[in-house]
Amino acid sequence: MSPKLLLLRLLRRWHAGIGFAAMLFFLVLAATGLALNHGPDLSLDGRFVHAEWLARWYGIKSEAPRHAFRSGHHVLTAANGRWLLDGKISGERLPQPVGLVELASIFVVASDTALYVYRQNGELIEKLGPGALPGSPVRAIGSSARRIVLRTASGIFASADAVSWRPGSERSVRWSAPADLSISEQQAYEEALAPGISLEQLLLDLHSGRFAGRYGPLVVDLLALLLAILSLTGAWLFLVPRMHRGRH
Amino acid sequence: MNWRPRRSLALLTLALGAVAAGFVRGEVYQEPDAFVAEVFGSKPAPKVLWLTQGIQTQAAAILGHLPAQLRQRYWSDSHRSAWILEEIGKEELITAGFVVVDGRIDHVRVLVYRESRGQEVRYPSFLRQFKEAKLAPGERLDREIDGIAGATLSVAAMERMARLALFFDRISRQ
Repeated sequence: MSPKLLLLRLLRRWHAGIGFAAMLFFLVLAATGLALNHGPDLSLDGRFVHAEWLARWYGIKSEAPRHAFRSGHHVLTAANGRWLLDGKISGERLPQPVGLVELASIFVVASDTALYVYRQNGELIEKLGPGALPGSPVRAIGSSARRIVLRTASGIFASADAVSWRPGSERSVRWSAPADLSISEQQAYEEALAPGISLEQLLLDLHSGRFAGRYGPLVVDLLALLLAILSLTGAWLFLVPRMHRGRH
Repeated sequence: MNWRPRRSLALLTLALGAVAAGFVRGEVYQEPDAFVAEVFGSKPAPKVLWLTQGIQTQAAAILGHLPAQLRQRYWSDSHRSAWILEEIGKEELITAGFVVVDGRIDHVRVLVYRESRGQEVRYPSFLRQFKEAKLAPGERLDREIDGIAGATLSVAAMERMARLALFFDRISRQ
């Protein structure tokens, strides 16, 4: 057997071996790369993966819910940037609430920098940021005579509709206060409020190898090298026999 | 994974989180309050436009998604109205103020920009294109807005908000 034929056989065997061994990794890289390339269309940044094992893997400490805010018909528990409002998760990256009050047709959740006004069915009517608040930070929220009352750093303000505010007083205000959760409630809510990793970050970490820790990117570097070798050996295997046929 | 890689991943996550938090807070070019006060001389009491089912449907046709809330506050006098709107460019919200006079955009300002790239949409040279723009049939602008290389999604978001401000102004005066 000629040395060239021997080399071709060896290359073919290596090409097939490397391709097969790295197949799974290449498929992961291709799938994550494809998804990341269409990240905005797939809203990857707005989707979160919630799993305790994943949070542990990322070294993120899960904060257990300890308190709940209760009004006549509504219950709000918060932890890890998530709100569990009447048993439903209402969003990600939300601030820690300072209180919840209920009026006839609406209920309002306050954080220190925003108010969230909801219909009784849980639909968000409006989020009021610092510019729409009469003062900030909000330190407490309460109700008095069918009005929402805010205690802020700039004073006390009252409103019937959370649109226009007037200076108010503390008299006869029922301030919203957190109530302790029982152990069984804490356990029940903890799973629902587990911290999340954005899908985009997870895919980026899988694609770059960082998901596997410090040496992950080195493995991905190695895979890139293998891909280069596969390209070169593939080109060799494709071109050399054709060049020989051309000569004969 | 031993403790060292896990710690480095946690640090990386925290670092990315901190960077993301910075972007979410964003670059504040003008406080919304100050924008309204500048337009009207003082800050008038806000009014609210309730987004009924029909308005939501039309707003969704402009935005490409349902509005995030059920009522929109605005400020107005006899012939002009000011709207502070928010829309996602690529990943984060852009807050912009629009002043509409007699059904045409008088001026536009980017108030808060939270994206990592595309801040060029705040430059007057870009925003001047909206001056005197009005709604054409199909709730489109009556003119083409020139894009900015590298800020395509932010430009598109600004255009959607301009159309929405004109649409809301028309509805609020009916």
